[in-house]
Amino acid sequence: MFMLERRMDISRKASSLFVLLSLLLAFFVTGLIFHLLGVDVAQFYSTICNVFITPALLLQAVFRSIPIILASLGLVVAFRMGFWNIGAEGQIYLGMIAATGIVILHVSYGAIPASLMLVAMGVASFLAGGAWCLIPASLKVRLGVNEVLTTLMLNYIAMLFTDYLVYGPWRDPEGWGFALSIPFPEYATLKYCGNPSTVGIVISVAVAGFVYFLFKYTKLGFTLSVLGKSSDVAKYAGMQAGRATLLGSIISGGMAGLGGLYVVSGMMGRLRPRASPGYGYTAIIVAMLVQLNPWLILPAGVFFGGLLTAGDALQSSLRLPFSAITVFQSVIFLCIILAEFFRRYRVVLRRL
Amino acid sequence: MDKSVRKISRREFLGVTKAVAIGGIVAAGIAGGVSGYLARTPEVKEVTKTVAAWPPVEGLRPIKVGYVYVGPVGDYGWSYGHDRGRRWADERFKNVESFYIESVPEPEVISAIESLVAKGCELIITTSFGFMDGTAEAAGKYPDKYFVHISGYRSGAAGNAPQNMSAAFAEFYQLYYLCGLAAGAITQTGVIGYVGAYPIPEVVRHINAYILGAQYAYKKRTGKNIKAHVTWLFSWVAPEDARLAASALIDDKNCDVLNYTEDTPAVLMVAEDYQKKGRKVWSFSHYSDMRAYGPTAHLTGPVANWGPIYLDFYRMVATNTWQSVDIWSRVGDYMPWRWRQPLEKSTAGKEEGTVYLAPISPVIPNEWVNLIKQRYEEMKEYLFEPFTVEGHDPDGKEPIRDQDGNVRIGPGERADRGTLWSMDWLVEYIEEPLPK
Repeated sequence: MFMLERRMDISRKASSLFVLLSLLLAFFVTGLIFHLLGVDVAQFYSTICNVFITPALLLQAVFRSIPIILASLGLVVAFRMGFWNIGAEGQIYLGMIAATGIVILHVSYGAIPASLMLVAMGVASFLAGGAWCLIPASLKVRLGVNEVLTTLMLNYIAMLFTDYLVYGPWRDPEGWGFALSIPFPEYATLKYCGNPSTVGIVISVAVAGFVYFLFKYTKLGFTLSVLGKSSDVAKYAGMQAGRATLLGSIISGGMAGLGGLYVVSGMMGRLRPRASPGYGYTAIIVAMLVQLNPWLILPAGVFFGGLLTAGDALQSSLRLPFSAITVFQSVIFLCIILAEFFRRYRVVLRRL
Repeated sequence: MDKSVRKISRREFLGVTKAVAIGGIVAAGIAGGVSGYLARTPEVKEVTKTVAAWPPVEGLRPIKVGYVYVGPVGDYGWSYGHDRGRRWADERFKNVESFYIESVPEPEVISAIESLVAKGCELIITTSFGFMDGTAEAAGKYPDKYFVHISGYRSGAAGNAPQNMSAAFAEFYQLYYLCGLAAGAITQTGVIGYVGAYPIPEVVRHINAYILGAQYAYKKRTGKNIKAHVTWLFSWVAPEDARLAASALIDDKNCDVLNYTEDTPAVLMVAEDYQKKGRKVWSFSHYSDMRAYGPTAHLTGPVANWGPIYLDFYRMVATNTWQSVDIWSRVGDYMPWRWRQPLEKSTAGKEEGTVYLAPISPVIPNEWVNLIKQRYEEMKEYLFEPFTVEGHDPDGKEPIRDQDGNVRIGPGERADRGTLWSMDWLVEYIEEPLPK
């Protein structure tokens, strides 16, 4: 009879091998499906690989992945402390709102000098995203409310609040009544510092380094990891669990807020309703995929951005519909989950 | 369960559309036009109404065209309509290879455009308002490529984008006015409804045009003013919400003619359900001929064909005669025959140009069908415009007022493009205020 046995001795090397194998399996299975549908599989594979070896395409992949990466890094902090933050999407929206708010303050009242704009926007979007995440965190600490529900529900509030702003008080007076904010002046966009993709890489690497440093060298990071393993242990050890949760949630939401800054300031150049196509949700998958390792988030995020870019190429070259790309991504997820299962358990044949 | 039912009927509908659009009109048109193509002797022909096909394009260099859609082409709504336009233009231009990328999120439009540029496309058409800034940016980055953005306000012609970018839109307000005439002619309760997507000027002017038409017809018929209700969905595609909103307008507000801006036939289907239950409720097509969804409840409706606009841009690029334009295509534009027709020859309810009426239901009394046809024909020659005192009041006296009673369009005035583009007020007959 087949039994499942938990693996206790899994090494880091073996576990990355499992992830790689699962990706290969996904490529193989998708190729098989498309082959049966009459798609030229060789071209299918070369189109995808092409994205990762052509510099211009790779830069596009990076461009699309930055908000995912930033939100994902925030989730690493939250998940490591056992705070199941599903609200990165809403925190991204708050980051967008705060950044836009600073631009409007500047343009309408001249409150902030132009040279400090990007810094001010960065701080504001971090704080806004953090504050948005602080709400469910304090509800959890004070009242014991389950954060999965509150973070998720706050996403819709953030999205609708963005709608309200761009349809209402923040509507561009020169936008013919369409729902958009004023365009950001040049110095309030990331283009001011260079190519948005390059700027995004620098920010992402810095943030990843920060997360690594936080958990490796700081007391707060240690407290958070203990909290994540067992909140009781943290309590018995006399750690200030509540305070750490609140601080961690601010950091987590703040990073998603930076993702929001990137969307408005690096990608769109103004605020629009429903500006995020679900970056905050993709971020959850990316964070889980790399088992909460901050450095691995970077390649994993770019990989997902690359799949999206490959999707564009597949649509134009092989004339596959967008749903084909969805199929491909779904197969990848399934294979990763499968690999995760076999990483944790081994199947043994046992005689009863 | 409900979903699968809708899917099947949607497919059925596609079949009908194909049969009607491609089988009927294209075949008839091509039969006439293509005979010349086969003979390969260019000849000057007398322009007649049967020349629905465009002159065959020959000897032009081949072009590659890329389209960026915001939704999936199978949505049977906005993106589907643009893809139909793409195929329409491709079929006629022949020497073209076109590509599209669907379901593109707004912040990533530049990536999609770059993929198409890498594919060798020299004309790129982006079909969602949110793609506007990204398209302008790409136009600046690729000055030797051509860009067309649909439904926005940035173009070289307008002076707020590079010269290799054009803007285009197929505008419906005139057709909504004609729908309003039908509504005012048939309503028994004197109360009509509108299910709106978003409170943006495009939808606001469509609502106003619809209500003005209804007021004109109802006032002329009964001497009383029309009453109107508007519900907002805050979504372009929300069939379930649209269904609920439509039912509420019928049950709670006593509306019996419903128009809408939503990318599915949901409202029309609700009206059809009420008809089956014996209550007379009417509705319209939207963007495509949707008669199949409400054979009894369907009155007429605004329909768009983006094909002629696209074909126009193909030719500009292939003949190296690009000029940045800001097109707002209305009744009469892109029609081979831009003249008023006598009533018996009116083309109202037939496919032509870029915006036209879906077939007009025989339940509308004859005198009103004739008025609809007359107005439609007059619009081709700019002889009639909805946003005028004459379009509002049968006696041609009452100015158009907003909900606060301010006169917006007085005698002798005609709403200009700027007024229509940025319309942020509702006409007086509507009960609900405009959300701000």
